[in-house]
Amino acid sequence: MDTDRSAQLEAPPQLLIIDDEPIIGKRLQHAFGKVGLNALIFTSPQAAMEAMNKESFNVVITDFRMKGMDGLEVFRQVKQLNQKTKVIIISGSASPETVDTAFQEGVFDFLVKPFRLDELKSSVSRAMEEIKGEDGGGIPAC
Amino acid sequence: MIIPELRQLWAALRKLLPGRSAPPVSPRVVFERFQKVLASNNQALEIIADLGEKLGGDYLFDMRYVESSTEQLIAAVQDSVTAVNALCADRHAGLQKVHDRLSEDLRLTLAGREDREGPLIFTLDEIRPRNWALVGGKAAHLAEMRHDPQLRVPDGFVITARAYNDLIDHNDLRQQLTAFEELMAAHEPDLAALDELRQQMERAVQAAAPPPGLLDALTAAVRHLPKEDKPLFLAVRSSAQEEDMDFSFAGQFTSVLNVPAQPAALFAAAREVMASLFCAGAVAYRRRVFPDEGKMAIAVVCQQMIDSRTSGIVFSVDTMQLAHDTMVVVAAWGQGEAVVEGGTPTDTFQLRKGPPISIVARQVADKEQGLFAAADSGLTARAIAEELRSQPCLSDEELLLLGTQALHLESLFKRPQDVEWAIDNAGQLFILQTRPLVLNAPAREQTLPVRLEEHELICAGQGKVAKQGIAAGPVHIVNLADETGDFPEGSVLITRRDSSRLISFIQRASAVITETGTPVSHMATICREFQVPCIVNVGSILGKVTEGELITVDAEDRRIYRGKIEELLVYHASSNVNIMVSREFRLLRRILKTASELHLVDPMMQNFNIEGCRTYHDILRFAHESAVQEMVNLGRDERRLIKGSIVRPMKLPIPTGILVIDIGGGLAPDAPERDVPYQAIASVPFRAVLQGMLFPEIWHNNPMPVGIRDLMNSMFSPVREEAAEQYSGHNIAIIGGNYVNLCFRLGYHYNIIDAHCGEAEQNNHLYYRFLGGVTDMTKRSRRAAMIAIILKEFEFNVQTKGDLVTARLSRLPQREALYALDILGRLVGYTRQLDVCMESDADAEKYAEAFLNGDYTFTDRV
Repeated sequence: MDTDRSAQLEAPPQLLIIDDEPIIGKRLQHAFGKVGLNALIFTSPQAAMEAMNKESFNVVITDFRMKGMDGLEVFRQVKQLNQKTKVIIISGSASPETVDTAFQEGVFDFLVKPFRLDELKSSVSRAMEEIKGEDGGGIPAC
Repeated sequence: MIIPELRQLWAALRKLLPGRSAPPVSPRVVFERFQKVLASNNQALEIIADLGEKLGGDYLFDMRYVESSTEQLIAAVQDSVTAVNALCADRHAGLQKVHDRLSEDLRLTLAGREDREGPLIFTLDEIRPRNWALVGGKAAHLAEMRHDPQLRVPDGFVITARAYNDLIDHNDLRQQLTAFEELMAAHEPDLAALDELRQQMERAVQAAAPPPGLLDALTAAVRHLPKEDKPLFLAVRSSAQEEDMDFSFAGQFTSVLNVPAQPAALFAAAREVMASLFCAGAVAYRRRVFPDEGKMAIAVVCQQMIDSRTSGIVFSVDTMQLAHDTMVVVAAWGQGEAVVEGGTPTDTFQLRKGPPISIVARQVADKEQGLFAAADSGLTARAIAEELRSQPCLSDEELLLLGTQALHLESLFKRPQDVEWAIDNAGQLFILQTRPLVLNAPAREQTLPVRLEEHELICAGQGKVAKQGIAAGPVHIVNLADETGDFPEGSVLITRRDSSRLISFIQRASAVITETGTPVSHMATICREFQVPCIVNVGSILGKVTEGELITVDAEDRRIYRGKIEELLVYHASSNVNIMVSREFRLLRRILKTASELHLVDPMMQNFNIEGCRTYHDILRFAHESAVQEMVNLGRDERRLIKGSIVRPMKLPIPTGILVIDIGGGLAPDAPERDVPYQAIASVPFRAVLQGMLFPEIWHNNPMPVGIRDLMNSMFSPVREEAAEQYSGHNIAIIGGNYVNLCFRLGYHYNIIDAHCGEAEQNNHLYYRFLGGVTDMTKRSRRAAMIAIILKEFEFNVQTKGDLVTARLSRLPQREALYALDILGRLVGYTRQLDVCMESDADAEKYAEAFLNGDYTFTDRV
């Protein structure tokens, strides 16, 4: 499974979103699409990793608790594929230790639900700015 | 359960025991209890506000959050019930039962079992929003429309989801249903197994026996329908839990039309409808719109069949022309099945929305036949008379009425609507059902930000989103002091600060913007309930817009544009991302129906009692008002106050004779035992009142021109017994750091000010009561009218009855509360002898205007 290919847009996607609740992905795609950021959405981390093997993304937003692979594992695999991709983890609950570990390993941001969409938007825009600063912008090479 | 009942019993017994009446509690303890009520109320209201804010669409949250917050809420409301009974000597013990019932409802909702309890049948008029899970989306909409005086909806009743669940249990289908629901909820289910289970369920429900009591309930329901001189037939339709709320389910479930109003025939038809929950089309639809979710129950609506001359549908937005400015009406002679199922030629009309609405195109078909109710049951095709075939089946007047009603429904449900209607032989228009009209997305989202740059922004990034959404309309600025005016439907309501008193306007508004306020206010909650996009705290918006100008409000990204931005509206109407459909949102919405709706809006309303408490919010409102009343009464109970309290006389430059009782933090530590000066008052609200009373020129000393009749009145009409008892003796101020209760008599004028005023806005309340005078009732009433005019200007909720004025204001920031208290202080001084000046009704306005202009010496000059 499983991306909703029908919802893909013409411009190259800059965001990849993984959440096993389909509505979360759709909602984030909608919110980012409106401000001009195209997102590809997945409900399964495995399918998302397959897509990332083929193309690169500026920012990956991933849920923490998912079947088969947690958000930290997604982060580790993303980093193996591309050091420059920023990973933001969103989670319904997380112990302070988990959050600490995530930040120590280099996760760009860790948001615990409930949070405002604006907080995620500003986190993504900071990530985009940082990438721009690192290599003058553009999608990181594979 | 047992402990609260024992407590009640003990409380009742204790009152009967001779000589065991409880000793009076000291004012300090009473105040501590009062504060306990405030604290627990606040905790509960904060949780409700927090939950409500999540429903605005601006947050991401999950099930765990909903579950844990609900449990915290149940505990907080329990604390409030316990605290108010401790304060009021168990006089409101009945609140415990209301709390227990609502808590049970909430836990059933959390467990997904709220559709298993309740009646088997509801009449459409009995349905309330909180019954939504029991009656399904379509019936909930029908009930809402039945309550709307602008719409005519056929009478009827609903066989509830509880009846459906009973049928499942009575026919031993629960295990099978659970297996089906588990497969539906599976992430990647075995589709062949799912289809097998689906078919088994469909067949089993089609053959099911009626659950106990249902046939009797049907007999009673039919008996309650209005009698006619011919046999009664009903239309039997589905009302699944999510149907017509966010998803149309159009054509997915079975309808059985023209069913004789007999219990057995109705049950057979209802069973067909229930079985269609498992038909292949509906199951596929559910898997598409609610992936990973298994549970859904179905209710059945039975409504009087309309003997239609013409029927059809109206789309409040023409799906072919997404410019939002046209509607389309499709109609046929006879019953509407011919239109919705296709197959027969129909007339098509296009209307421009206006205003005013106009007919822009007509396509009249040659309609050889139509569907009509058959004599025994069902529908039958009949040839249309030759002369009618090529005639339009709707007159212009009927078309315009249809257009008006479609726009009204769009405004009521805040989304484009797909409306089914019928016109009977007498020419009466009936709305049969309405559902959201889902449009296809034509807009390329990636170009939207670029195209939006072309439009003039009034403001961006300001304020807070209370309810997400996008809407456009003409600006209508509302002054809170004058909320009785008319509100043009579809306007954007703009006002200085948020107020729940705007409720009747919000229902009709396309969007709401306020200059101050928070997303957790009552008004914000109301906006979410009515699905009205709302941004609060948009500073100085009033200076940037003009009355009547068209604006577009994007309450997703906090942007307000000048003009009507079609791109944004089309983008919004074509969005298939409705966050309200996620499981968390739907659960949260159900929880909030039991928790946050407020019915006890006004303490002056007749239903302001325990029986009127239908939600947690009602309990909290009732507890708060009861607690305030308890404090007001404490202030009147002079004997109780003076006994055992340290009472200190004040010394002020004006002759007031006030005694103060400090219940904690009301006086400076070095305040003297006697002749307490203004400077020694530490109570924040009392200082504000005194500041008003001491305001230059307020305490005018010129004697008022008391006429001989006034004098006679004062001599011969004794002070009313009630008033005498309450107000005789001293002027007493009970004060705390953030609290004042002042009972103040000046001659024949009686004032009570009770106020809590601290930094926590939600704790603040102001209560003012004025009574009395030296003159006859007419003059005294005029003065009451004058006080009402003034207080309304300061946004008090005011009621007058003869010479009695009661005014309330609550949940306002400390700064505003202190200003209002200062005004009350000035008013006490200003009005003290004014009744003698009230020679005519015009005087009330004249003196009010002088006060509002700050001309306090007006009285001396007249």
